[in-house]
Amino acid sequence: MADWRKFLRDRWRYIDTILALVVIVGSLWYIYDLLVGSRGLDVGYITRNYGLYLHAVLTNVYATTIAFLVGMAIGFSVGWLRTARTLPLAKFVVSMRVERRARSEDPAITEVSSILLLFVSLVWYGAKYTVRRIGDGFVEIIRGTPLLVQILFAASFFVVFLPEYATEGLLIGIVALAINTGGYQAEIFRAGLQTVHSGQIEAARAIGFSRLRAMRYVILPQALRLIIPPLTNEYIGLFKASTLLFVLGVQSEISYTAQHQGFAGDVFEIFAMVTAIFLAITVTLSFVVQALERRFRIPGLGIEAVRKPRGVKMPAPVA
Amino acid sequence: MIRVNNIQKHFGALHVLRGISFEVQKGEAIVIIGPSGSGKSTLLRCINLLVEPDSGQVFIDGVQVNRRGIRHEWVRQQVGMVFQSFNLFTHLTAIDNVTLGLIRVKGLTHDKAVEKARVLLARVGLAPKANSYPAELSGGQQQRVAIARALAMDPKAMLFDEPTSALDPEYIREVLDVMTALAREGMTMIVVTHEMGFASNVASRILFMDAGKVIEEGTADQIFQHPKEERTRAFVSKILR
Amino acid sequence: METATAFKLREPPKLVTRITLIHLIEMVVAGLLMVFVILPAIFNFSLLSTQFWNIYTRFYVTGLFGTFFYVALLLPLSVVLGFLMGWARVSRVRIFSWPASLYVNVFRGMPPLILVIFASLFGTSLIPQPILDRFFAGFRRGDIAVGIAAIAIGMHSSAYQAEIFRAGFQSVPKGQVEAAQALGLRPWQGMRHVILPQTFRLSLPPLGNEFAVLIKDTSILAAITGIELVAKSRDLLGILPASGLPIVWIFAVWTVVAVTYFVITYIVTRGLRLLERKFHTPGLEAISL
Repeated sequence: MADWRKFLRDRWRYIDTILALVVIVGSLWYIYDLLVGSRGLDVGYITRNYGLYLHAVLTNVYATTIAFLVGMAIGFSVGWLRTARTLPLAKFVVSMRVERRARSEDPAITEVSSILLLFVSLVWYGAKYTVRRIGDGFVEIIRGTPLLVQILFAASFFVVFLPEYATEGLLIGIVALAINTGGYQAEIFRAGLQTVHSGQIEAARAIGFSRLRAMRYVILPQALRLIIPPLTNEYIGLFKASTLLFVLGVQSEISYTAQHQGFAGDVFEIFAMVTAIFLAITVTLSFVVQALERRFRIPGLGIEAVRKPRGVKMPAPVA
Repeated sequence: MIRVNNIQKHFGALHVLRGISFEVQKGEAIVIIGPSGSGKSTLLRCINLLVEPDSGQVFIDGVQVNRRGIRHEWVRQQVGMVFQSFNLFTHLTAIDNVTLGLIRVKGLTHDKAVEKARVLLARVGLAPKANSYPAELSGGQQQRVAIARALAMDPKAMLFDEPTSALDPEYIREVLDVMTALAREGMTMIVVTHEMGFASNVASRILFMDAGKVIEEGTADQIFQHPKEERTRAFVSKILR
Repeated sequence: METATAFKLREPPKLVTRITLIHLIEMVVAGLLMVFVILPAIFNFSLLSTQFWNIYTRFYVTGLFGTFFYVALLLPLSVVLGFLMGWARVSRVRIFSWPASLYVNVFRGMPPLILVIFASLFGTSLIPQPILDRFFAGFRRGDIAVGIAAIAIGMHSSAYQAEIFRAGFQSVPKGQVEAAQALGLRPWQGMRHVILPQTFRLSLPPLGNEFAVLIKDTSILAAITGIELVAKSRDLLGILPASGLPIVWIFAVWTVVAVTYFVITYIVTRGLRLLERKFHTPGLEAISL
């Protein structure tokens, strides 16, 4: 009596695995049957049209890449601006007071130059703060509004101000995507620069580097390596988001679907093709990402909790 | 009080425990020493059934506990355990760590549990830290809270799995003091440790384990000064300065 | 000897700090400036025009309620699904973990638009006919399709949330589970008092983000005749020329839409951050990515 129970317990791993496979294959088969079933898979359609869909997806890759590169320029500049450090207001006031007291005790310094210095400091502080907050605002707006709205906004912009280009769906799309990814990349660049920022500039200066050289030889190399994983994830996310360009009339696999599904009823075949091509690209990209990560990883250093709305990579557990 | 008879345990192909038998009387404090990988932690976990032995018997107060029909939760209320890595619940304050078992397992009301927990925390010297989270406590303080937490269950015996191995040296003393006081009060304890000073002072018996077997058993004097087995001698000479 | 009143349990942390208030004020001021001063200056429209609101209001309200409806439906759905899938992923029982992994990888790998389109095209075929007849007899086929597409968006988000919850589960140190057992807590008690509270605290920060994404993704339903904000606004754009307002008022519409989404996501993310702060315990830091 106890035998078959023990038998089951010993072989539990195998039973488990087999049942898992049964569940997976079973449900996939069930769905397939529901959708295609009696009709039979239209392989002919696939062989005839896969080129079309492949081309459409490659258009997306093209658009994504260009937008990504432009976005990188935007992201880097905005990200840099957002690292402009300003002391909290209270500390700033205190430092001003200290400065003023020191200066008032030195007879060689005139009243006018003190006031001038104070004024310039205030303006510089205010400017840095405003610039930083504008950068923050830009990123918040990009992240707070849907990509679709941004695309339609860009399209409207073209319709109103640049009507001769209003029909260039691809151009409008790339512009919208570039600004969108620029916003997200700004966050990535900011996080990367700031993660390295803290003690490193001081250490570099202590060795004797000037600010600029510290930036060039210490901060940037580290920051660049930190940034690669989130950046590549952003690329994958952008690629997936680029499907939205179809609303601009960009010839894409989606519009083909809309056109063809009507008379052919080959929805499943289209779906299968599109899914296959997409997953192939995203999986390949994921492997590239992992390889890059392994290559460029700095042990012990990573961007923490950068909010990645479209990240493909899974959050890693805390050690 | 606690008796272990011919315990065998495999982890896959690894034969971790190869027939361990010993007995602990009520009020005794025994120390188990041995190289890492000898199965000491596994042995402890077989006693409170965190790990189930493949064969052999575990007796607590004359009752065999590793058989069907005995609820593991009941066993673990009889025997408390303190871990090497403290394992305090990070999201709860010190006092909440102690009251959790009191409220959920023992069924005390919230107020009674808090009262009892305060007494226990005072006993381990941490009354002012009752409202601190584990992250705000030093290693030694965390381990003492862990001891209080285990004591809250009013166990008949306590198991200590290398309680000071993860501590910075300056904190080891305070934990050992608590454990020594506990032993003097008559708590039945089985302690796995590398702290030979503690072993000499407190242990009524010392067991030396290697590769899943008890190699030698004796008083502190016997084991440290006059070890009979070769392996015991080798190990002791490495540990003692 | 301490008196009874001298001992108090710890007080919860403050919810609203000074920085929060400063940022909030900054945002409101900047927002008002942008929307009522700067943009009108550039694009030559005014959000205060009654003529504009005369025609836009009904589109806006219909669309807004549509969006709220989808958000109210999909947020809880995606959390429940995501939690279950995340839990299944960490299970050692392969019957749970393998299908869950498949689900997560498929729904994360596909862009939401593709999911939406195909869900609307053959989603109805996936529901067995008897159920269709019993529960959904009164609905038009098209409406059911949109409903399924919305659920597809929910499932897409749940896949991301599954990963968040998975990381939350895995970030709870295993030793604490052992300690709970050693105290005599039963497995479900350990789950409820030790694992879940920590999983929940660890998952909150990334979750707030994911909610914002979900809210924005509902706009994708505009691509397939869903009733929500973007779709309705596009409808308005159709009749805009006829209304007599110059075409540049397109921007007025999109500005309103953008602001609306921004406010919604802001409220949700900041609300969750407040929740985060309320439950914050030192030592439980956010999951690092």
